[in-house]
Amino acid sequence: MCGIAGIVRADLEAPVPLDALRRMAGALRHRGPDGWGMARTPGAGLVSTRLAIFDVPGGWQPMRGERGSLLVYNGEVYNHPELRAQLGSELATTSDTEVVLRLLERDGLRALDRLNGQFAFAWWEPAARRLTLVRDRFGVRPLHWAVLPDGGIVFGSEAKALFASGEVVAEPDLAGIDETFTLWGPRAPRSAFRGVAQLPPGGLLVWEDGAIVARRTWWEPDYDPDVFAARAAGTAPAARVATAGVPNAEELPDLLTDAVRLRLRADVPVGTYLSGGLDSSLITALAQQASDHELRTFSVAFHDARYDERAFQQQVAQALGTRHHVVEIGPREIADGFRDAVAHAETPLIRTAPVPLMLLARATREHGITVVATGEGADELYWGYDLFKETAVRELHTCDPERATALLDQLYPYLDVPAERRGPAWARSFFEAGSADDPLFSHQPRIAATGIVRAFYRPEVAHALASNGGDPLARLRADLPPAFGRWSALERAAYLELTTLLAPNLLAAQGDRVAMAHGVEGRFPFLDHRVFEHSVRLPPERKLGPGLCEKAELRALAARLLPAEVAARTKQPYRAPEVAPFFGDQAPGWVEERLEARALDDVGLFDPVRVEGLLRRCRTGKASGFREGMALVGILSTQVWHERFCGVGTGAGAEWPAESTEPRILLDAAERITSQ
Amino acid sequence: MGDTEVGTGLRAALRAYIEEAFLYLHPDVELADDDEFLALGVIDSLGFVELVEEVQTRYGIAVDALEITEENFGSLDALVAFVERRRGE
Repeated sequence: MCGIAGIVRADLEAPVPLDALRRMAGALRHRGPDGWGMARTPGAGLVSTRLAIFDVPGGWQPMRGERGSLLVYNGEVYNHPELRAQLGSELATTSDTEVVLRLLERDGLRALDRLNGQFAFAWWEPAARRLTLVRDRFGVRPLHWAVLPDGGIVFGSEAKALFASGEVVAEPDLAGIDETFTLWGPRAPRSAFRGVAQLPPGGLLVWEDGAIVARRTWWEPDYDPDVFAARAAGTAPAARVATAGVPNAEELPDLLTDAVRLRLRADVPVGTYLSGGLDSSLITALAQQASDHELRTFSVAFHDARYDERAFQQQVAQALGTRHHVVEIGPREIADGFRDAVAHAETPLIRTAPVPLMLLARATREHGITVVATGEGADELYWGYDLFKETAVRELHTCDPERATALLDQLYPYLDVPAERRGPAWARSFFEAGSADDPLFSHQPRIAATGIVRAFYRPEVAHALASNGGDPLARLRADLPPAFGRWSALERAAYLELTTLLAPNLLAAQGDRVAMAHGVEGRFPFLDHRVFEHSVRLPPERKLGPGLCEKAELRALAARLLPAEVAARTKQPYRAPEVAPFFGDQAPGWVEERLEARALDDVGLFDPVRVEGLLRRCRTGKASGFREGMALVGILSTQVWHERFCGVGTGAGAEWPAESTEPRILLDAAERITSQ
Repeated sequence: MGDTEVGTGLRAALRAYIEEAFLYLHPDVELADDDEFLALGVIDSLGFVELVEEVQTRYGIAVDALEITEENFGSLDALVAFVERRRGE
């Protein structure tokens, strides 16, 4: 688990300066606090910063293979012991990195189908002058890249490594920002920075001697079980479960137990994040069963009771006998951590929710834990989010409006406004939010609500976006896979959640980035591809069950492992206070500074008159709705993000400090070979 | 509609609320008393939900579900008439 970065030149003779590589390593050191390494070959340089989890003494990178290729690798392949056994030959280390490198050298990209894990890597074959960039199936680990003017490539786990290289200037990408304020995150290959691309989840890119020769996905979510059955038949992964037919009730417990067992593999102690909801509680229960030491659990608790779930967290921790730690979050913590969270996320935010998770990662590391399993992914696989219920109800409304309206009243029990007071205005806002013919039907209410941030654009920005083919929804519709039209409304919703929310937001700004901010690695048993493929084979009613009971299949398992109250709990969305932290006596001075007219003019995205209207409401405590909260966080984070990345430096990378310690590994073939 | 003094105060207060809560996003709009919020685009359907909540809270009126219509909430004129009628009952 680490940070990776590198530069390859189109021209073999062109230098890759050590200083640039040291700065790139410095920019990613938070991801790999245990040390770093570097390799150079003619016209190429790779760096790795390491968070040591497997083979702590031996697994340093870059790693050179028997055939001379080099690998820098971020993440874990959990089935590496099984793959190692199949490799047959003697390996020099016990790390998963070496297993991946051996497989790549032996089988090329066919090896990818055998990997069960979450990873991003760069594989450099100096003889062929071929660079291959790969990202895991669901996009757990990030990977950014940019084409250089000479046709070379610079890449890094985070965009900051690209800026530190001195090869790429940080500038806003209006369309990427606009996607964030539509779908909650820039959609790969786009990022929030112009000219900086992200590899899509399940994506790969091959560059050879100055040109990109392949850009495609090696894995994509599908909702046709036969697709995966056919794939499994070809590659025979180490799955213990059937790959076809309707699953029986015992398959999920077996499979999830195995997914958790694999993810507890580490040469360091592991813990879990416990939200108090069904998914993380279930993972914690399975982890406790599989763990050979006292399991540690970590939770966020809020001063504000509307967001707080501590009672449920404690109930689970006590019932399972874990050693439990709680991080208390109030408005002050959110305000104080906000700028750091934005710097790590590298994109504007529309929620403050990543901040508490960043502070949770800090506390987790302070307690000596660097690996945590979480429940991420379950809501996408088993249709847990309200969005799925909304979609079901809205679809029903097209044929049975009365019953749909009655069902709507059962949704959102956690909202401040009780159902009887929401009335037809609420219902209408819902049922008129989008046509059932629209591929994005499921997401239109959320898109409509999020759109408030875009209402603050300066007129010229709105105009520029509109005139540059700028409808992010049109782009999304055009990119949907051919099979999309064959899926049910809920399967389409699930696909959109996986690809437009989970990867660009929940696993990124709210996942990898804020955890790696403090060198903590999240592991997600539900995002084991076998678990996903199993969920695809489940009949719909075993996901969203009768009476809009979400995650039916998981609940059946939870009933056996968890306190009854937790197993029966309705999902509560994870949210954090959005307006309160930034106003009032306790608010830090930079908030108003970043939002004053001059600062807004400097960035040039938001209209000061409109923003002032919002600020008046925020200052007087009237901005209490979730939409105004999103608007404030969107605007403030953009201002902070711009100041952090785009407002400084000349593009030469000088503002990024070079890594000052000595590398743990240095494979420097550049001078020797060029001098031959 | 014949503004009474109470009505004028009510109208001013409701206008102030609409301006403060919604019109800041539409700095170019001069809202007339009979302009329809939804048609003009100054309040969208989610804003309409907020407006109904505000009227209930601010004037202590228990609004029946069936009363939440554009006829009662769709313009400044409509709002004033609705609140006056309900307060007079």
